[in-house]
Amino acid sequence: MDFSLTDEQRQMQALARQFARDVIKPAAARHDEDESYPADVIEQASGLGLLNTGVPEEYGGLGLGMLSEVLIGEELAWGCMGIYTILMASELGITPILLAGTDEQQARFLPGLVQGPALAAFALSEPDNGSDAAALRTRAVIEGEEIVLNGSKMWITNGGLADLTVVFATADPEAGSRGVVAVVVEKDTPGFSHVKITGKMGQRASYTAELNFDNVRVPVSNMLGAVGDGFRIAMRTLDKTRIPVAAGSVGIARRALDESIAYARERSAFGRKIHDFQAIQFKLADMRIGIDTARLATHHAAWLVDQGAPHGVESAIAKTHASDLAFDAANEAIQIHGGYGYVNEYPVEKLLRDAKLNQIYEGTNEIQRIVIARGLIR
Amino acid sequence: MKIAVVIKQVPDVEARIRAEDGKVSLDGVSFILDGMDEYGVEEALRLREGGLECDISVLALGPARVQDAIRTALAMGADEATHIVTDDQLDALAQAKVFADVVRMQGAELVLLGGKQADWDSAALGAALAEELGWPLSDWTTSLELEGRALTLRHDTDQGTERLEMPLPAVVTTQQGLNEPRYPTLPNIMKAKRKPVELLSLAELGSVSSLTRIADEAIETRDRRNEILSGDAATVAKELVDRLRNEARVLA
Repeated sequence: MDFSLTDEQRQMQALARQFARDVIKPAAARHDEDESYPADVIEQASGLGLLNTGVPEEYGGLGLGMLSEVLIGEELAWGCMGIYTILMASELGITPILLAGTDEQQARFLPGLVQGPALAAFALSEPDNGSDAAALRTRAVIEGEEIVLNGSKMWITNGGLADLTVVFATADPEAGSRGVVAVVVEKDTPGFSHVKITGKMGQRASYTAELNFDNVRVPVSNMLGAVGDGFRIAMRTLDKTRIPVAAGSVGIARRALDESIAYARERSAFGRKIHDFQAIQFKLADMRIGIDTARLATHHAAWLVDQGAPHGVESAIAKTHASDLAFDAANEAIQIHGGYGYVNEYPVEKLLRDAKLNQIYEGTNEIQRIVIARGLIR
Repeated sequence: MKIAVVIKQVPDVEARIRAEDGKVSLDGVSFILDGMDEYGVEEALRLREGGLECDISVLALGPARVQDAIRTALAMGADEATHIVTDDQLDALAQAKVFADVVRMQGAELVLLGGKQADWDSAALGAALAEELGWPLSDWTTSLELEGRALTLRHDTDQGTERLEMPLPAVVTTQQGLNEPRYPTLPNIMKAKRKPVELLSLAELGSVSSLTRIADEAIETRDRRNEILSGDAATVAKELVDRLRNEARVLA
């Protein structure tokens, strides 16, 4: 067993750490407060090659593996989970194209995503169904050489901003999960519109939208796989992309620990620094235990992906454990900060608000536990 | 022409350093390319981007871990590197001898390096290297222009700045303000893997030894006095101003 990183991975990690420290962290509070999209940060990230890292080399990208992606993800999320979500969701949007796109489709869709700050998006959830993805209602009707889309998608990160959106729709509502198609919809396609969702509790820098499809026509050549493949494409995508959610969660937890250590070192009570109290020390130790175990689970799941090995259960374990841990760590960080932790003068209340979403998106932690349990009682 | 950039790997600014048994312990410390040396790499890249035809060669001395700093410099855009591998700590004069040999061997005509090294805070290497090579030196340089083979530089002095003119070959050490170093991009990090790094042992460069030996190291700690001024606001303010003026001497 070898836990060491390559020189190159250490360099990437160092770059991401520096970028998080110098660029993301200073911008985080403002975009959280304004609920505004950090276009300048994303542009800089794109310039450094941190955006759409999964695009293969033959299409002008870097073709990074999952382990490299999660090493970078942890660092960026340390700076701001909401900002990292923009990048993470773009990798999510690319993944179905990588998994199920033909060479022709990849050559058509991917190069444009690495020539500037272009985003991709993944549109599965709908206003009336999320975890029950097979129940989706957006209709896809094939008319000759075109697919006509009608319906709505909900909670779509980068929705409306993305150059490419992979939309999951049903070609046959009677067929349940076997009637689903995956279709690439380009940004300015007529009939495709979006509404930004505001009032989010956390991750307010990321742009979340409801997408509406009103007789949106795309060529049949934009369909990934065949009619009926869509559900499996979506599930295989999420089996992979839950791992960066785990990595982001580790980043949040690490930030919670860093902020807690810094505060506990400065703050005094009863004539001593509060880090002298075992009650505080145990909280710090528990955070560290959580961070290390969650990181190991995350790296293991990522390693399985890079080996081409099955990873569905491991990615579910990593995502669930890491996001629960991140929430707990942020919660304890607030407790350590006392009253100051409850106001936005310190960054820890934001960590809690941000971490909450990691327990929900890309498959709620309840769905993850179902995935894990199914493997046990089969 | 060839530009040599001498770099050093130093503890991360956020590292917590301890001294144990009269020696600084670097266990568990993460290391980075010295920020002052990043200015040197960046300035070389800017000269090339400004139209100068040149190869940029990175020179570093130290243990195997120094590879990481070398890769950073290559990922910023330097072309090649030479790593003189040693676990020995050499003083500035000994380092200057080693680097001077490599600079001459490679035929470099401009040497860029940090104005000081962030680890032991020594600012001697640039001057020692210029002396060893017999080349002119601009230290603490805040701007550099190259016209043909003529350098025009501005550098800091204790009381102000000077404009210097000198011909190549020359040694230039950096100062904050010289430029804003770029990040190594991910694509360049991946390309850096394929750039050549030559490994040399210290023995191959002939025998060098330090004239000074660090016999004991301690880390400066400043105890706070924990004095709290008492009295009404006006009295405390007056006392504070008095102390700032006469004790701390931060007010005129």
